Amino acid sequence: MARLLQIFGFLSVLFRGATLTFQSLAVGGIVFLIFVLRATSEESDSVKQACLRWIRRAAVALAAMQFSYVLANSLILMQSADLSLGQVSGANFVLAGSIGILSALAIVILVSMRRSRSGMILLLPAAAIIFSSVMTSHAMARLDYRLPLAAFTAIHQTATAMWLGGLPYLLITIRCAPSPEFARQVSARFSQLALISVGLLASAGFVLSYAYVGSLQAVYGTSYGAMVATKVILFGLLLFLGALNFQLVRRGPASSILGSLKRFGEAEIGIGITVILTAASLTSLPPAADLARDRVSRSEIFARMTPRPPRLASPAVRELPEDIYEAQKLAFDAGTLSAVSYVPGQAGTRPNTPAEKAWSEYNHHWAGILVVTIGLLAFLAQAGRISWARNWPVVFLGLAVFLFLRSDPEVWPLGPNGFWVTLADPEVLLHRLFVVLVIALAIFEWRVQTGRVASGNLRFIFPMLVAVAGALLLTHSHALGNIKEEVLAELSHIPLAILAVTAGWSRWLELRLPSENRTRNALARLWPLCILLIGVALLNYRET
Amino acid sequence: MSGLNTLGRGVLFVLTMILGAGLFPAARVAFAHAVLLESRPSLNGTVAGPDVPIELRFNVRIDASRSRLTLILPSGDAQPLPIRKQNSAETIASEALGLQAGIYHLRWQVLASDGHITRGEILFTVTRA
Repeated sequence: MARLLQIFGFLSVLFRGATLTFQSLAVGGIVFLIFVLRATSEESDSVKQACLRWIRRAAVALAAMQFSYVLANSLILMQSADLSLGQVSGANFVLAGSIGILSALAIVILVSMRRSRSGMILLLPAAAIIFSSVMTSHAMARLDYRLPLAAFTAIHQTATAMWLGGLPYLLITIRCAPSPEFARQVSARFSQLALISVGLLASAGFVLSYAYVGSLQAVYGTSYGAMVATKVILFGLLLFLGALNFQLVRRGPASSILGSLKRFGEAEIGIGITVILTAASLTSLPPAADLARDRVSRSEIFARMTPRPPRLASPAVRELPEDIYEAQKLAFDAGTLSAVSYVPGQAGTRPNTPAEKAWSEYNHHWAGILVVTIGLLAFLAQAGRISWARNWPVVFLGLAVFLFLRSDPEVWPLGPNGFWVTLADPEVLLHRLFVVLVIALAIFEWRVQTGRVASGNLRFIFPMLVAVAGALLLTHSHALGNIKEEVLAELSHIPLAILAVTAGWSRWLELRLPSENRTRNALARLWPLCILLIGVALLNYRET
Repeated sequence: MSGLNTLGRGVLFVLTMILGAGLFPAARVAFAHAVLLESRPSLNGTVAGPDVPIELRFNVRIDASRSRLTLILPSGDAQPLPIRKQNSAETIASEALGLQAGIYHLRWQVLASDGHITRGEILFTVTRA
């Protein structure tokens, strides 16, 4: 229970993200089956069966995620508020979760029975799933305009499911289609559905943003506003890819476009899941409109973001608190710990000391120098100017050494605590694992770049990890009571996340698109540029 | 992903999870949902004892029957406070009786209607009436 309590905040965002993802896949698959694939001919039966299989899998996963969320939330509530299971079972989130689980199981049963040819009956549990999701959305806890906001949330989530949730089924259709022409026709129908969905999604999103953010100042001055802006930017990326697909479907013979269509679809799904994760982390934040105090002003952002020379001198280890846990306790006793509002498992935040801030800035700036080097060399290698520049992944080894030395100053080799003893601390252990991962990444990608691995799965490790890192970065920093420092830190992390997502998926597309697709050339330049910009952003990272 | 074999997918999955875990410490910052807009007694405020009415107003609808108020006395002992029937959806109220002069911590935990659990603490001082 103690461990569950410790990671509860992060777990709830992950469960919410996974629930929204599987909900989109289940509902999107049903809409695709009924309105895009339709009950066509006998020869398309294999496509229909493949779609049904994936709808069933998504529904099973949705039921599992909903159950996990309800279980974790119930356990925490029972333990922290000393409630019995009977008392917790009447809570709104338990009711919503139960509807979601039962609806998902109903889909599994209906799909397995295969009685209905059209599948229209599946729309009922699909609607119930959206209803259950809206029951745990911001709208349900609002004091004003509760029902209209719930209706717009339902439209927003349904449109997301129809578009992003339908995409994997389009890829399945393209792969299993009896003929290229069949695939082209289905793609054209999906494009129309996607256009309608985008319109609905954007309109409902605009209304919800107006209600929950409320002003331009709240967009950049609060965590919620900044995350909404991030969603809009990622939505723009998706629209760009969607537009490329839309054009593809409308030109050329089917046989020549399907290869590109599949690959763009993969990137759309990846970025789509990133958007859903961002949406999930938004649900854990209080709406910006509710936070009138402690917003960050334009002048404060300008002061923080104005370029300054990087910090290349580090404070000494002895200047740092020897034991950060003891420092946290001392801050609590002294009343300097922020404990106004937090979730179970946390005890408020301690402001960093000047030495800790300087230590962190130094770390970010040296990491920035290494990442700029990686970006520049990758850019030169892609341009084919300097052959040895292809060895750029080796620089990751330098980053690994740097992380090993600097990420935990209280631990060996810099700190007084021994190597083996501190591995018992999960945070230190994870940092060490991260170092191992960076080393592995350097070796894998170096083999890819230098032609030692010309094909196969190793090529996809680098883009996948960069894209996933970007997505996870968007779930990481959530201001508590909107402390200004948290918002400023978030504002500096968001560009890194967006650049990482762009870099990862552009490299993925460069590797996956057919060689005749000219977009590959632009993408081959785009991802090194994004890495370069990540380095520049790190160089300008500030905590003071 | 059709080009990926089972082993490759496994490698990708494991590496992705490790990376996720690597970023995990950063993800352990704070997640908060319900915002305390107003309280009686106020944060760091001073009130006259011995009987102190308590009222907390939030930005969201609160499920009062599944929320908790606990008073930490100057001696360090915890005293649960019964929550009254709600007058409005966003407030919870109680009353602490017979308080001596001293520094108190009011710990609150609320369940919002959308399922989020949030807790917090209000430090206040009680003086003699």
